[in-house]
This record gives sequence, structure tokens and C-alpha cells, in this order.
Amino acid sequence: MAATDPGEDRTTRSGALGALMQAALALPILAVAARAGAAEVGEIGITTLGYKERGLMKVTEPVLWGRVQLAEVWEIEASGAVDIVTGASPELVTNLSGKPVQSVTGASINDRRTTGDVKVTRRFGDYALAASTARSNEEDYHSKSWAVEGRVDLNQRNTTLVASYGESHDHVGSSIDPTLNAPRDTREYLFGVTQILSPLDIVESTLTYSRGHGDYNDPYKLTLTFYPDQVLPTLLPDTRPDHRDMLAWLTRYRRHFPASDATLQAEYRYFHDDWGITAHTLEVGWEQRMGEHWAVRPGLRYYTQNAADFYAPVIPRPTPSVLSSDQRLGAFGGLSPSLRVTWRGGDGWKVEGTAGYVQDSASFRLGGNGSEAFATLRAVYGILTVSRAF
Amino acid sequence: MGLHRYAFHAMAATNEVQVHAPDRPRAEAMAARAIEEVRRIEAKYSRYRPDSIVSRINAAAGAGPVAVDTETAQLLDYADACWRQSGGLFDATSGVLRRVWRFEAGRRPPTDAELATVLALIGWDRVERANGTVRLPVAGMELDFGGFGKEYAVDRAALVLREAGATSALVNLAGDLAILGEQPGGEPWRVAVQHPRREATALATLPVASGAIATSGDYERYLEADGVRHCHVLDPRTGRSARGFQSVTVHAPSCLVAGSASTIAMLEGHEAGLAWLEALGLPHLCVLSDGTLVDRFAPLSRG
Amino acid sequence: MKRAAALALLAALSACTTVAPYQRGYLARPDMALGADPGTTRALDKTFDAKEAARGGASVGGGGCGCN
Repeated sequence: MAATDPGEDRTTRSGALGALMQAALALPILAVAARAGAAEVGEIGITTLGYKERGLMKVTEPVLWGRVQLAEVWEIEASGAVDIVTGASPELVTNLSGKPVQSVTGASINDRRTTGDVKVTRRFGDYALAASTARSNEEDYHSKSWAVEGRVDLNQRNTTLVASYGESHDHVGSSIDPTLNAPRDTREYLFGVTQILSPLDIVESTLTYSRGHGDYNDPYKLTLTFYPDQVLPTLLPDTRPDHRDMLAWLTRYRRHFPASDATLQAEYRYFHDDWGITAHTLEVGWEQRMGEHWAVRPGLRYYTQNAADFYAPVIPRPTPSVLSSDQRLGAFGGLSPSLRVTWRGGDGWKVEGTAGYVQDSASFRLGGNGSEAFATLRAVYGILTVSRAF
Repeated sequence: MGLHRYAFHAMAATNEVQVHAPDRPRAEAMAARAIEEVRRIEAKYSRYRPDSIVSRINAAAGAGPVAVDTETAQLLDYADACWRQSGGLFDATSGVLRRVWRFEAGRRPPTDAELATVLALIGWDRVERANGTVRLPVAGMELDFGGFGKEYAVDRAALVLREAGATSALVNLAGDLAILGEQPGGEPWRVAVQHPRREATALATLPVASGAIATSGDYERYLEADGVRHCHVLDPRTGRSARGFQSVTVHAPSCLVAGSASTIAMLEGHEAGLAWLEALGLPHLCVLSDGTLVDRFAPLSRG
Repeated sequence: MKRAAALALLAALSACTTVAPYQRGYLARPDMALGADPGTTRALDKTFDAKEAARGGASVGGGGCGCN
């Protein structure tokens, strides 16, 4: 067979691969699609939460969530949940015994909450725009919110910047007082940076500023204070300022250790608001891979906050215009160890269980001086997720 | 399912088969078949064995045609496709250049006169292939399967593993490799690409779910004279060393195609080579002669 | 002062080396993701937000809850 001049036979450049593949496949060899990494189109999952405080509260919550990519430029994320909130909630702080303590009035709350949210993202090369909306409906609380977000990838996606704006329009009600329907409106601004530091570590830092006004009172909480020189005690319902400006600065860090086949996960959040509360949250976890399918993650979370300016377990004199004895606004610290176990099978299946213990107490507060009326909280929680990536 | 690794020596290099299998006996059985296939191909197309088909064809240069089997004929068809698509740069008769190039320290590149003597013996278009026979028309001409034999062995070993029941395996012959399927748990394999200038250092670690990876570089066999590096990738038209790249790595459905694509890119030189790789549409990773990295490997999806 | 710290962090980050896409094998691992899956994240946030004054940090527009 005579060969012709190579220049003439050279097929058009785009057909070169076809010609080579054709000749290669004439041989008894294996040719498989050349795929880099693992391409994922979406994921769907269901998560349940169980929570128990010493006989006081038990919450179970199945959340269905999912995300899917369409046509490589669209991504849709959505979730929906039905929470069932049951149990009694402490309502009264009284100093009848001499020192202020919480007492449970015996009323129980049986509440169903439905929530749903959707976020749609469109990519334009290195840029992406997203819009999202969320709804939440309980008997005594209705929330509607929306947000828009812009992202830009720089430097071969080593750096990602994100900025977003969101608004929430909520209505606060009360199962005790059906006439209550007070609005609460919030605007939120977020700016964040994600930076790949090396092939082994990555950091993300996000600043969120929120301005809200409206009704922040807890309609179920009261303070009852007895004074030694007065016959009748003073009763004040939970009364908070009609605005709240908050700043949260969250930084997350991940570092992989190939020799150990494990990853260090750490995050720190600084929080401050104009109610006078400053809080720090630190969470550290070590996710250890064990074989091809299992991972175990012990974690420890530490939290500390000081009291709001208007927090007091005892009503001072003269009676102030704003006061709350809600111990969630007091000075305390919390320690929460947790353990997460993950199983990943082939085909994208994942089962993940997280169990944690939470203890909040005045003595855990950083620097001491925790609120004396703070009733130590001891709780356990369990989260189970079953999901499938496809 | 566990990962079992088997190193073995063949084609003058250390090679490896990695296979996920439920137990060791099955892993050993699969790996043994793959290794056996590699040795078979090495023996059949080795220049160093006087009874191999290649040696017999070369011994009969200038004399009569030699009968070849289907496998050999198809391999030569593949070499022919490479010759056509590369405009003559990929030439299976260029092995004779070995006679005038010695890639050892202290050696010098051959003179034009020395090259002229062997250039006269190069020319794929002069090879006569017909009716299941091959004939080299001029005494002294040689067929050299070195440019694609190893890549063919990788692809054959991968097929043998698949036929033996493997669903997740990797065959690596001194850096040219094929991957049969994702690791259990959906994780991709991690392929380390040799740094062209630093020993025992990876230039990059590529996440590969399937397909073949082959690398051509100027660092495997070379000599340096007057501050210029001459490597073993030689242009069959001039006899001189390829210029423009320190290394080219290509990801393709078969190792044969990945290997030829990377070799042809090296021979085309910097600009034409990058254009060739882009036109092929295969993911690639290159280091230019000045050390610049050209990364066209990963698709632009969320990662 | 907090703003200055944030800007300093940003400046420091931009001085990091560039990691090319093919070097991101480890970063693509699930344990290197910056958050847990959406369901677990929501459950953890709910657990702690119900008992603490601090909230938020990761995203906006998620809506409120009674949290009583």
C-alpha cells in the first residue's frame, strides 16, 4: 500500500482526535471516557434532629433538602421542613425565694412549624448571581425573607468574594394573646472572602451586619420581683428595645493532613450587637477517615457571652422601660462536645449521624462573672442525615 | 474491598498495578494477568530479542517482506495514523537516530554529517505494508515500536484487568498509565506528574476518575552541551532534539492516544504544540522550556 | 478597629500562592468543605440559636424563628 504525502492526508485539525481514536480502537484495547475528578450534578437528603433538655423540651425535625445543577450554569437549592415543637418553656423569673430563679408555669407548647426556602444561582464564567427566598410559619411566628447575592472568582478561583443583601419581614404573635401581631423587619448585609491558602488548606471569613426594628419581646416571659419594703411585687413582661443592630464575623478554616488521612476543621465567630451583647464561639473538629467508607469526627464547641444591657433577673427601681430576664440574654458560657460518624458508600450514598451534649452555665463564662440567676442547661441532641449525590 | 498494589519490573523500569478487590487472592489473580500481558508485549516487540517480530523485520531490511499477525498490522496502522495526523513528525522508522545520539554525560550532539548518514534511512512513507506483510526497502532501516509500545501495553493491561473482573484499577508503566474506574466511595485517583527538573518531586497531582495519562518530557534521557539540553525526543526530518517544552502531559480515553498526542506536541514545538493539543480537545498540562506552566487540565466546574 | 483587622486579613490573603485547578485534589474532599450538609447545618444552627443570643454569620435571608 503506497503512502501518500503526509501533508495532503492530514485531516482538519479538529478531526485529528477522531482519526487517532479510530486507529487506536481497531486494536483490542480498552478506551474509557477520560474524566477528571468526580463530577456531581446534585444531591438530595433528609435530616432529622432530636433534642432533649432535662425533661423540658424535645424537638424533632425532618428537613428535606436538595440541590441540582442544570445546564452547567444554573444551580437550584431548596429545602423544606416540618418541625414539631413540643414541651414546656420556662416563663417566669421570680425572686420569691430571695434569689431570682426561673420557674416553669406548667403551660406546654405544642407547635407545628413549616419552613421552606429556595435559592437560584446563575453562573457567568467567573461571576455568579443568586436570588433566594424563605418562608417560615408557626402558630405564633410568621417569617418571609428574600436575598440577593453576587460572587466573583479571582485568580483561578483561588479567591472568591461574595456580597449579599437580604430582608426579612416577620410577624410575632402569641398563642396566649391572639390579638398580638407585631411586625419585625430586618435588613442584612454580608461580605465574605474565601481563600485557598495551599493545596492543603483553605480559609473563609464572612462579615454580616444586620439592622432590625420591630417587636423583639418574648411574649411568654415575665419577671416578678418582691421588694422587702413593699407588700405587692412588681410584675414586668419581657420588654426589649424596638431595634437590634448585630454584627457577626465568622471565620472558618480547614486543613488536611495527608499522612494521617484526616482534616482539621476550626471556626470562630465574633458577635456583637447594640443590646450590649458580645459573644465568642469557637468550634474545633478533627475528621478522621477510617478506611474507604467511614469517617469519625470528634468536635468541641465553646461559647461565651456577656449579658444584654437590659438583662436583669430582678426588676430594679425605678422600673426601667426595657427589661428582660430571659437567661438567653444573660452572661454565661457553654461547652458542647460532639461526635459525628459518616458512612459513604459507592454511588454517592451518605449516612451521617451527629450526637452532642450541651452544657450552658454561668460558671463557663470566659472571665467568670456569669449571671447568678442562670439555670444550668444540660441537653443532648442527635442529628441523622441520609443523602445521595448524583 | 481493599486496595492492592503490585510493583513489577518491565521495559527497563519500575511499574505498578493497583486494583481494588474484595480479597487478596482475587487481586493477585487480576494483577498477575495484567503483568503477564505487559511482559508478552514487551517480548514480542523488543529490539533486544533476536526472535521478536521487530528484530525479524529489521533483519530483513533491504530483503523480502516479513509476515506479521493482526495485532502487529493494527499497531502499524496506528503508527501510520499518527504519522499522517502529525504531518510526518511521528515516524516509527526514526529509531536509527539512536546510532548517532548518546544521551550520557560528557557526550556531544552529533554533527550534521553524522546525522545525514542516518537521516537517509528514515521515512515511514517508504515502508511497504501489504497483505499482512511488512518490508523495509533499504538495508539499515529499522522499525521502532518504542514510541508507542509502552502505551499499547498500558491499554492492553487495562483491558485484561477489566476482563478479569476489575472495576476500579490503575496500571502504571513508568508514568504512562490508565485508570479503569473511580475508587470505591466515588473518589478519583490521584496521579502525580513528575516535575521535569526536580527529582522525586511532583509537578502536580491530578484528580482522575477514569481514562489514561501519558507524559513526554525532556528529562528522561538527555545530554547538555554548551548550556543547551538535547533530549531523546528527536525530529525525524532533521534528526535534532525537540524544542519548546520541558514536559507535556495529556489525558485521553486511551494511553496510545495520550502518548502520541504528548509526543507529537513535544515535536511540534511550543506554539504549534499547544495549538495541536487544543485542537485535539484533550485536557493537558505542559511546562514550557522556560519553566512556565500551561494548565488546561481541569474542566471549569465547581470543585 | 475590627474593620482594620478585616482589611489586614484581606491583604494578607492576597499574598498567598496560587493553587492551580489540578492541584486541588485534597481541597475537593468532603471533609474539606467549609460547612456540613444543609440539613445538619440547619439542625446545629437551630440547636444553638435557640439557647444563645448570638446568631448568624454564614448567610443572610434565612428568615427568623420564634425560638421560644
